[in-house]
Amino acid sequence: MTASATTQAHLEEPYARPKLVEGAEDFGAVTQRVCGVLERPKPPRAWYIGLAISSSLTLLLFTMVVYLIATGVGVWGNNSPAFWGWGIVNFVFWVGIAHAGTLISAILFLLRQKWRTSINRAAEAMTLFAVCCAGLYPAIHVGRIWVAYWLFPFPNQMQMWPNFRSPLLWDVFAVSTYATVSALFWFMGLVPDLATLRDRSTTRLKQVIYGFFALGWRGSARHWQRFERAYLLLAALATPLVLSVHSVVSFDFAVSQVSGWHTTIFPPYFVAGAIFSGFAMVVTVMVPARELFGLKELVTIRHLENMNKVILATGSMVGLAYSTEFFIAWYGGNPYERFAFMNRAFGPYAWAYWIMIFCNVVAPQFFWSKKIRTSPWLMVGVAILVNVGMWFERFVIIVTSLARTYLPSNWGYFKPTWVDICTFAGTIGLFFTLFLLFCRFLPMVAIAEVKGVLPAAHAHPEHPKGGHDHG
Amino acid sequence: MSSQRTAVENLGARGRSWGRIALVLGIAGLALGLWLGSARGDGFRRFEHAWLVSCLFFLSLSLGALFFVIIQHLVRAGWSVVVRRVAEIVAANTLVTALLFAPLVVQLLRGDSSLWPWADANTVHGNPLLEGKAGFLEPRFFALRCVLYFGIWILLGRWLLRRSTEQDTAQDAKPTLALERRAAPAMVAYALSVNFGAFDILMTLEPTWASTIFGVCFFAGSVIGFFALSILLLRFLQARGFMRASVGVEHYHDLGKFLFAFVFFWGYVSFSQFMLIWYADMPEETFWFRERFHGTWANVSWVLLFGHFVLPFAALLSRHTKRALGVLAFLAVWMLCMHAVELFWLVMPTAEKDGALVSGMDAACFVAVGGIWFFALARLAGERSLVPVGDPRLPESLAFENS
Repeated sequence: MTASATTQAHLEEPYARPKLVEGAEDFGAVTQRVCGVLERPKPPRAWYIGLAISSSLTLLLFTMVVYLIATGVGVWGNNSPAFWGWGIVNFVFWVGIAHAGTLISAILFLLRQKWRTSINRAAEAMTLFAVCCAGLYPAIHVGRIWVAYWLFPFPNQMQMWPNFRSPLLWDVFAVSTYATVSALFWFMGLVPDLATLRDRSTTRLKQVIYGFFALGWRGSARHWQRFERAYLLLAALATPLVLSVHSVVSFDFAVSQVSGWHTTIFPPYFVAGAIFSGFAMVVTVMVPARELFGLKELVTIRHLENMNKVILATGSMVGLAYSTEFFIAWYGGNPYERFAFMNRAFGPYAWAYWIMIFCNVVAPQFFWSKKIRTSPWLMVGVAILVNVGMWFERFVIIVTSLARTYLPSNWGYFKPTWVDICTFAGTIGLFFTLFLLFCRFLPMVAIAEVKGVLPAAHAHPEHPKGGHDHG
Repeated sequence: MSSQRTAVENLGARGRSWGRIALVLGIAGLALGLWLGSARGDGFRRFEHAWLVSCLFFLSLSLGALFFVIIQHLVRAGWSVVVRRVAEIVAANTLVTALLFAPLVVQLLRGDSSLWPWADANTVHGNPLLEGKAGFLEPRFFALRCVLYFGIWILLGRWLLRRSTEQDTAQDAKPTLALERRAAPAMVAYALSVNFGAFDILMTLEPTWASTIFGVCFFAGSVIGFFALSILLLRFLQARGFMRASVGVEHYHDLGKFLFAFVFFWGYVSFSQFMLIWYADMPEETFWFRERFHGTWANVSWVLLFGHFVLPFAALLSRHTKRALGVLAFLAVWMLCMHAVELFWLVMPTAEKDGALVSGMDAACFVAVGGIWFFALARLAGERSLVPVGDPRLPESLAFENS
């Protein structure tokens, strides 16, 4: 812990920028440390236990999907008046989780936040896995899944088109664009590292597979020049996507006239909430992962602390949005709007509302304490609360408004079925299965990028020990 | 590079003479504006609207600056040190705006409802929407809230400037650390006050209309205004021989990037507000935009769409425009004009129902408030160094290059 104590001391000293990674001072050590995770003959026992649990849950997910398709959407709890239930709650939850990766790789890149290099690869991977979980829901809820491709507008002899004025169609575009760009961005960043793995492979099979995906990377100056240009362009393209995806998701609700849904703050507020939940998931997953795979010197306490600060900032934005919504619901004077908010806080779903307020507004405030935001296991506690809170946020928004709309004779109380619950548990399993496989077969930390922020990368001929760092 | 020391530069006598010119212009504008306002014979109703637009314009520049300065400390930014002092001075220049704004609140307390119609009991009576919030939209409570908002802005701005100036002579890292530590709570106070301040001062002009994103839209416009002003102030000072050794094209490039980012952000939040209200099509909300698409106001709305978003977005996209200082300065002037048009478009439709009419009085009010504001700005700059010469991250900022 002495190394991290020095980092803390550096922060108190604004004359110099602290080092971004600890221990590993030279390029070789970074490669060794990251590739070591994949090259050790067997992963740690915890990895097997985790994979056993998560793959069982994934199996449960597939069972539920087959059951749903074979039987019909009636096996879910969606029914009058709450026609949107856990399906869309979980879709929005997972799309939200998917926001951290692109924020870290695109926006923090444009803002020259070089600390992002230690966490961007894993966060981008989580983005892709979360998008998989999210994308599953619209596909399986359509009832006749064999015509799910009708979601896309394509010329057909029936002259049948989706409604271009519907934000649900915009969602199809927003999420699929996001998935495509995130996957490209992630894969492009992986190319130099895949080449490293190819060159270090001990078996022919690994060499062929890693070599195939490394696209013939040789690390020449021309390769690097084009790589960096492409990276900047993809970062610039991905930045508006960070805003657009969850904005479009929020339009699903906000364009309507349902009380509690139709409010103009929704787009930026959903984006802040998405980043909030995404970062919480990255912290939840990275703390155990860095312990397990011995990456503490690359993913330092300072990286985690910075992420916790982003959680505090975005959590406070979400809190500001809640208070603004509540205030305007009163100020606007519309009795239905007032009712929707009073109903949330004091109606039959008050328990969900107060869980949401506690987890999303109160819990992140613990991060004002430096002690809590620098203690790995305490921060995981807060991050898990945030994940729970953000799930409840979507539940509160969707279910409370639908269960009590304008017609009191049509009021109801939404209850999920066991299929809803098992499907959601299954997506959690799918997410972690994919992540555990990723940890074992791909470099969790962007080797080439971390090398770029080492002091040695900026060494000047007259100061061979490394120069100033603009991080 | 890192051993380079920057000489202390301040405006000194030239600042005083610029201040005097601004003050003379301001007083002349005030006299002309009052004369034109009284000549209308509408009990200064139209004048008050014009005055509010001008006050909000210069207030928003300070609020944008306040955001910039707080966030620089919050994220421990290094590149921006050389341009931060100018921003700090702009951010601290809110006391004068408060004094210029105060007569409007005094008029309100005296029962003048020409600006904020909810102050008129006859308007409120019989309107259930207004009766429901009569306790909130009450002149004395409103005045108290204004004192609170301006109090927060004045204190924050003064504090940021004072702690930073202390460092010029003391060569001490402590102020930097103190500013970093308190930047986070300062940001919380800032966000709350600007959000609710925009609701109170601007949104209640149309008291039956409400939009939750309104504060964010005002904030986005304010930040654009500040970055444009900052680019122009730095160009002005450099053209007169100040700060030539410290600020370079790399810093302008970054200010240009921020200008671009907030043009984009403004487009995003404004589109969110418009599209959601258009789509839901509820008459209690759409009337606000209907007013702004009525008669010649429609032209102003289109000017905002293209002039405030589409054209500057396209123009600022390229790296070259952000590094060609003449082009960047032109775009900064353009954005400041658009920011003024936006505030005019937010305030004036309540006074000019039939169409957008700009009069000599609007220009006079703008010169009046602007002149007095720039006079106060020059005084605040005074003998202060124009660059935070004692900041520990100054060498990093001087050596900064966009890779």
